[in-house]
Amino acid sequence: MKIAIGSDVNGLTLKNHLKSHLENMDYDVLNVTSNEEYDLFDAATNVSKAITDEEADRGIVIDAYGVGSSIVANKYEGIICANVADEHSAKMTVAHNNSSIITLGSEIIGEILAAKICEAFVKADYDGGRHQIRVDMVNKMC
Amino acid sequence: MKISIGCDHIVTEMKNHLVEYLTEKGHEVIDNGTHDKERTHYPIYGKKTSEKVSSGEADLGIVVCGTGVGISVSANKVKRIRAALVSDIETARYAKKHLNANVLAMGGRITGIGVIEEAIDTFLETEYEETEESKKLIEKIDSIPMNEDLIGDEHYFDEFIEKWNNGGYPAK
Repeated sequence: MKIAIGSDVNGLTLKNHLKSHLENMDYDVLNVTSNEEYDLFDAATNVSKAITDEEADRGIVIDAYGVGSSIVANKYEGIICANVADEHSAKMTVAHNNSSIITLGSEIIGEILAAKICEAFVKADYDGGRHQIRVDMVNKMC
Repeated sequence: MKISIGCDHIVTEMKNHLVEYLTEKGHEVIDNGTHDKERTHYPIYGKKTSEKVSSGEADLGIVVCGTGVGISVSANKVKRIRAALVSDIETARYAKKHLNANVLAMGGRITGIGVIEEAIDTFLETEYEETEESKKLIEKIDSIPMNEDLIGDEHYFDEFIEKWNNGGYPAK
């Protein structure tokens, strides 16, 4: 599985921590915000683009609060993105919503919890079944 | 304030409580459903609730489902909607103050009623403080092309509901 990761300047330290953490778990991590000049719009846009262009299977975006990046990502066609602060949401959003991206707030959650959230997110699988009608509806919207 | 609210069947009771909570505080509440616990689909209510904010009929929106994700994503797929999925009060404050978020989303199975009520209070009370940075960010969000055909179309999801009713989707 290939994971696209990006952040604005506020999320840079946490992004680097999570990138190393996921690489140590043998995931292939694609850094889509290589320098400090990105704002949260660019970070969310670049991660979304990596998903829609099929350069990555899952995406993670980090800014100070996470919520701004999730609003941006969800504006793109085919993207289902969740701002999460706990492991259960990270798992359930893949299982039920078929989310491809999560966003995290570097000022909201610490490194240990953030790493656990990312693990839960990348290990989760979509359940399909009855959940597909909701995913079909969302994807028709944009 | 005029508040548009919606939920899926997982958290109907919580939504009903919030309708009462907001009404008692003097707000006018548009309850977009769902109204019972029969299995339904969060995009219907995310769309209905946020359309009223997008059109200006309501000032702000509140959406709730199990994790808050599904209904917040659906709300965000409506043009002019900035739906903030939060599980703490500070993020709700930030989303209004810096992003001018117009819909607040929470997970009824994630966040307790104490934090939910206070996050709503904070979201409604906090004023947007425009800066060059926030203005530019919102302009960039608004520049992403969005489908506007869906706004106000009550039959937008009919094809999927028909398929569901005909057994076209698995029940599990």
